[in-house]
Amino acid sequence: MSAADPILELPYGVTPDPEEFLRAAIRWHFSEETGAPFWLERADRLEFDPLTDIRSFDDLKLFPNLANELRDVRAEDLIPRGYGPRPKVVGVFDSGGTTGAPKRVVMLQEWLDLLLAHSNAQLDAHGVPRDVNWLMAIPSGPHMVGASFQQLVAGRGGLSFSVDVDPRWVKKIIARGEQTEAELYTEHLIDQLQHPLRSQDIGVLMLTPPVLERLCRRDELVDLVRKKVRAIMWVGTQLDPDTRNLYRTELFPDAVLCSGFGNTMTLGHVTERPGLTDDEPCVYDPFSPYMTYNVIDLQERRPVEYGERGRVVMHYVGKSLFLPNNLERDFGTRIRPLPGQVGDSVADIAPVPEFDDEKVIEGVY
Amino acid sequence: MTDPRLLDALGPSGPYRARKRETVTDGAGTPVAELSLTPRLFVTRALAALHRATPLPLERRLAALAEAGRVFRDDTVEGLTYAEYERTVARVSGIPLPAVRSAADEIADSAQRALAGAYGALPGGAVLDWRDPRTRTGAAVWTRRGEVLAVNAAGNHPAPHALWLEALALGYRVAIRPSRREPFTPHRLVSALRAAGFGDDHVVLLPTDHATADEVLQGADLALVYGGDDVVRKYAADPTVLVQGPGRTKILVTEGADWQTHLDMIVDSIAHHGGVKCVDATAVLVEGDPAPLARALAERLGALPSLPAEHEEAALPVQPVERARALERHLLERAQGTVAHLGGDGVVEELPGGGAVLRPAVFEAPDLKGGWHTVELPFPCVWVAPWNRADGTAALRDTLVLGVLSGDQDRDADLVDALVTEPTVANVYLGDHPTHWMDRGVPHDGYLGEFLMRTKTVIRG
Repeated sequence: MSAADPILELPYGVTPDPEEFLRAAIRWHFSEETGAPFWLERADRLEFDPLTDIRSFDDLKLFPNLANELRDVRAEDLIPRGYGPRPKVVGVFDSGGTTGAPKRVVMLQEWLDLLLAHSNAQLDAHGVPRDVNWLMAIPSGPHMVGASFQQLVAGRGGLSFSVDVDPRWVKKIIARGEQTEAELYTEHLIDQLQHPLRSQDIGVLMLTPPVLERLCRRDELVDLVRKKVRAIMWVGTQLDPDTRNLYRTELFPDAVLCSGFGNTMTLGHVTERPGLTDDEPCVYDPFSPYMTYNVIDLQERRPVEYGERGRVVMHYVGKSLFLPNNLERDFGTRIRPLPGQVGDSVADIAPVPEFDDEKVIEGVY
Repeated sequence: MTDPRLLDALGPSGPYRARKRETVTDGAGTPVAELSLTPRLFVTRALAALHRATPLPLERRLAALAEAGRVFRDDTVEGLTYAEYERTVARVSGIPLPAVRSAADEIADSAQRALAGAYGALPGGAVLDWRDPRTRTGAAVWTRRGEVLAVNAAGNHPAPHALWLEALALGYRVAIRPSRREPFTPHRLVSALRAAGFGDDHVVLLPTDHATADEVLQGADLALVYGGDDVVRKYAADPTVLVQGPGRTKILVTEGADWQTHLDMIVDSIAHHGGVKCVDATAVLVEGDPAPLARALAERLGALPSLPAEHEEAALPVQPVERARALERHLLERAQGTVAHLGGDGVVEELPGGGAVLRPAVFEAPDLKGGWHTVELPFPCVWVAPWNRADGTAALRDTLVLGVLSGDQDRDADLVDALVTEPTVANVYLGDHPTHWMDRGVPHDGYLGEFLMRTKTVIRG
C-alpha cells in the first residue's frame, strides 16, 4: 500500500488537475516521511514555505535554481524516502556535461513506465510502426536516452540494435577546432550503422541530423533505408526546414520522419507535435503536468510573446523527483500550448539566440 | 521598383527553390534577387548524382557547349534577355558594363572552342583513346584524374567561368558554387548548358552559405577554388584542389626602355575592366627614377570618368559606399610611407543614384623592401617602385603575369631567362603586350588540363 496521494500515481491517460497535483507533489517531497534528503535538507534555507506558498505552477519561480547542486549531491539523497529502502531504479543519469561537471539525476522505473506510455502514444500518432526493430545511434551509459529507448523498443515489440555515441568527446574535438577529426568520428558511426542496416530487419532508425546527413553520402545505405526503414526519428540537434523537406520529398518519401527532444533535467523526452507541415517549426509539447516549459525574457523576468525567442526554463514535478525552475542554456521559440497543458510549448530549441549564425557548430550531438 | 528575382539552385533533378535565401543587392543596396541557398544534404545528394551520371559522348559534348555559348550570349535564358543579364551583373557586381560584355563574349567564345583550350595540355606523346593504334606497341593514354569537378567561384569578374567549360569538354561533371555577390553569370551559363543538351545531373549550380561550401568540395574528386592568400594556404598541401590565388601582376621597365611609347599599354594593363581582374597590373617596377612614369600614369588614370557601372562608357568599378570606404581606409593605411601621385586624399566618389565609384590610385614606393608593391586591390591601384638590377628576380616572384619593357634586349636576356624559369611567375609578356592579353590556345595559369588529366600507359594485342 503506497503512502502517496493517489493523484501522484495516476495511470497514463488520466490527467490530474495540475494545481492539485502540484500541491500533492510538494507535500510528498517536503514531508519528513516521504521526501528526498536533498529537499529536506534545503527546505529550511528557502525564503518561503513550499507547503503553503506554492499554490500554482507560476509560483515555482520562487524556487532558486538548484540544478547546479546536482553536480555534487549524493545520488541516493535524490530518491524520496517514501519509496522505501529498495526502489526500482532504472539508473543514475548525467546531463550532457557541456559546461563543467555533469548534473546527475536518478530515474525510477515507475516514472519511466509512465513516460514510455506517453511516448508510445505519441509515436503511434506519428504512424511509427510497432513490432519492428530499431537501429539507434544514440548515447548510452551515463545518458538517459540510451536506457529509455532500450525499454521503449522492447515495449513496442522490437529488438534494439545500437551504435554508441560519446557526445562529450565530439564536443571536445569540435571545441578544439578539429573539424576533420569530428567528421572522422561521424564516419566511424556510419561504418558501424551499415552492418545491422545490411543484415538485420530494421524498421526504425534513430539518430542525429548530422549522422543521417552523413549516411546519405552513401548510395548503398540510402537504398537500404528506403527498402527497410519505415520511420526515422531524429534527435539531439536541430534540422533546418529545407533539409527536413528534402528527406520527406526526395530521400525517404515513404518513411515517417519525426523528431524527439529530450532533457535530463525533465527526466525524459517528448516527440514533436504530430501533423505539422514542412513550413512550420518542430513544436514540442511537454508531458504536462510532469514536465513543463516556460520561454522567458531573462532580463525582464517575464514570458516572451508567442512566436518570439527566449530562454527556456524547465520544471519537473513528479513523485520520483521535484526539480523546479531550471534555467537551460538553450533558447527556444514560445509556442501556444495544447488545451489543458501547463506552461508553454517550444520550437527550434538551440544553444544560441541566432541559430543560423554560421560560427556556431553543433556536432553529432 | 520590381520585386527581386527568385534565383533557384540548379540541382541534378532540376531547379530547386529553398526556404533559406540570400538577398543579392546592387551598389545602392536595392534588392535585385533572392538566391536559394542549398542545404548540406542537397549538396551531398547532388554530388552523388554527378558521380552516377555518364558523360555525353565527346561529339555531343562539344556540340552542346557550342550551342550553350550561343544561348548564353544571345538568347533569353530563364526569362532574362542578354541585355537584362549584362545590366544586372553590372548593377550587382559593380563591374563596368563594357567589361561584363567582354567577359560574356569570352565565355561564349570559350564554349565554342572549349576543346582547343583543353587539348593545349595534351602531352606530345599521349593519345586520346586506348583504341588508338599506337597502344598496340604501348602508348600513353590521356585520361581524367577524376569524374566530378567542384568550382568554388569568385564574383570579382564573370570571365573565370569560361575556364571550367574545359572540364565539361573533357567529360567531367561539374558542380559550381557561385559567388553570392554575383550568381547571375553561372546561373545563366548552367541554364544555357542544360538548354543546349547537358543533363541536369552533368552540371549543377549549388549556392550555399559559407559553412556548407566545403561540402561541395568534399563531394567532388577535384576542385577549382578562387581566393586570397588564406585560401592558398588552406589548400596548399591538397593535390586535389587547384587554387587560383592572388594575381599580383606586374610590369618591369628596365633602363633605357621608352615607356612613353608604351604608356597606352601600361595604362591599359592597370585599368582594363576597371582593374578588377587578376591579370590587371598592380605594380610597375622601374629601373631608374620611377617618378616620371608615376606622374604620367596619374595623369592618364585620373582622366577616367566616374559613372554608374551599368553605363555604356563605365570604366571604373562601383561598390556599396560602406565597402568602398573600407577599401579606401585600407588603401590609405597601406600607402603610408609612399608618395601619392593620385588618390592620396581618397579614391571614393559617391554616385547620385547610390553606390560609389572606386577611382584610380597611383603611389610611388621608395623601395621594394616595404612590400607595398604586393598590395592588390579590386580597382585600378598601382604601386610604382624603383627596381635595381641587384634586386634580381626576388621582387618579381609570385606574379601571375609579368610584363617586361626592356631597354636593351641583349643586356636583359639573362634576366628574361631567369624570369621564364622562375616557378612562381606564371606568364611572361615581353614588349608591347598588355598583361590581360589572353588567347584560348595558351594557358592562363598553366593549362587547366594539367590539373584535370593524367597519362597512363596502355599496351595491348
